[in-house]
Amino acid sequence: TGGHTTEILRLLSCLSESYSPRHYVLADSDKMSEAKIRSFEEKRAETFSRSQFTLDRIPRSREVRQSWISSVVTTLYSILYSLPLTYKRKPDLILCNGPGTCVPVCLSAFLLGLLRIKRTVIVYVESICRVETLSLSGKILYYFSDYFIVQWPDLKKKYPKSVYLGRIV
Amino acid sequence: FRFKDSLAEELRSADLVISHAGAGSCLETLEKGKPLIVVINDKLMDNHQLELAKQLHRDGYVLYCNCSTLVETLQSMDLSALKPFPPGQPEKFASFLDKVFGFQ
Repeated sequence: TGGHTTEILRLLSCLSESYSPRHYVLADSDKMSEAKIRSFEEKRAETFSRSQFTLDRIPRSREVRQSWISSVVTTLYSILYSLPLTYKRKPDLILCNGPGTCVPVCLSAFLLGLLRIKRTVIVYVESICRVETLSLSGKILYYFSDYFIVQWPDLKKKYPKSVYLGRIV
Repeated sequence: FRFKDSLAEELRSADLVISHAGAGSCLETLEKGKPLIVVINDKLMDNHQLELAKQLHRDGYVLYCNCSTLVETLQSMDLSALKPFPPGQPEKFASFLDKVFGFQ
């Protein structure tokens, strides 16, 4: 969604073509991100002609301020979609930055890893908005990600297993 | 207007921006070198928006207030005291990932 998409496209901006093809996963209710992504990829194709990407949608796992219990249910429902999608794409790397949509995708990849079907490196970059506290996605994925990146030093202190590179968006 | 694809044009011609504390709005404005007053939404319970605005204010990049103190802020502001905002460095992220995967 919105801010998350802008941030993640900035993260992608300096990546080489080794990070290709790119598979974007959006929430079904997200109306604005698709245009931003297509615009980014179009620009990229000007420099890297063989650039490839796909776009998939899964049910939104959680609304803002949705209750804890119903969030578990809606997230499980999203996993019903993210699991076959992740299995199909078998990504080497999942890069995410906090929208609820990333939780079912990462959990699916984690599960496929446990089942020895595909080992995916999960890299989570907490949003630049998060200076003192982690988002709910962050709190969950801190335990499931291979690399957990924060953008402010207070968070590095509170979450010692995280990686601090300064502001990267 | 309701939603536009990009506010870049409006931003270019603005002398002062007053915005909510969304990261995209703040960063886009600061990167264009425009003075920014961030208005916090008191009614959002999980007010993590406040964290970024507070930090940016602490570092001297923006002014911030809430809806009720906006007028007062506009009347007493000193925009020349705001510091220029250095851009983020996504290249550091790219280097980091390259190391993880053993690329160059």
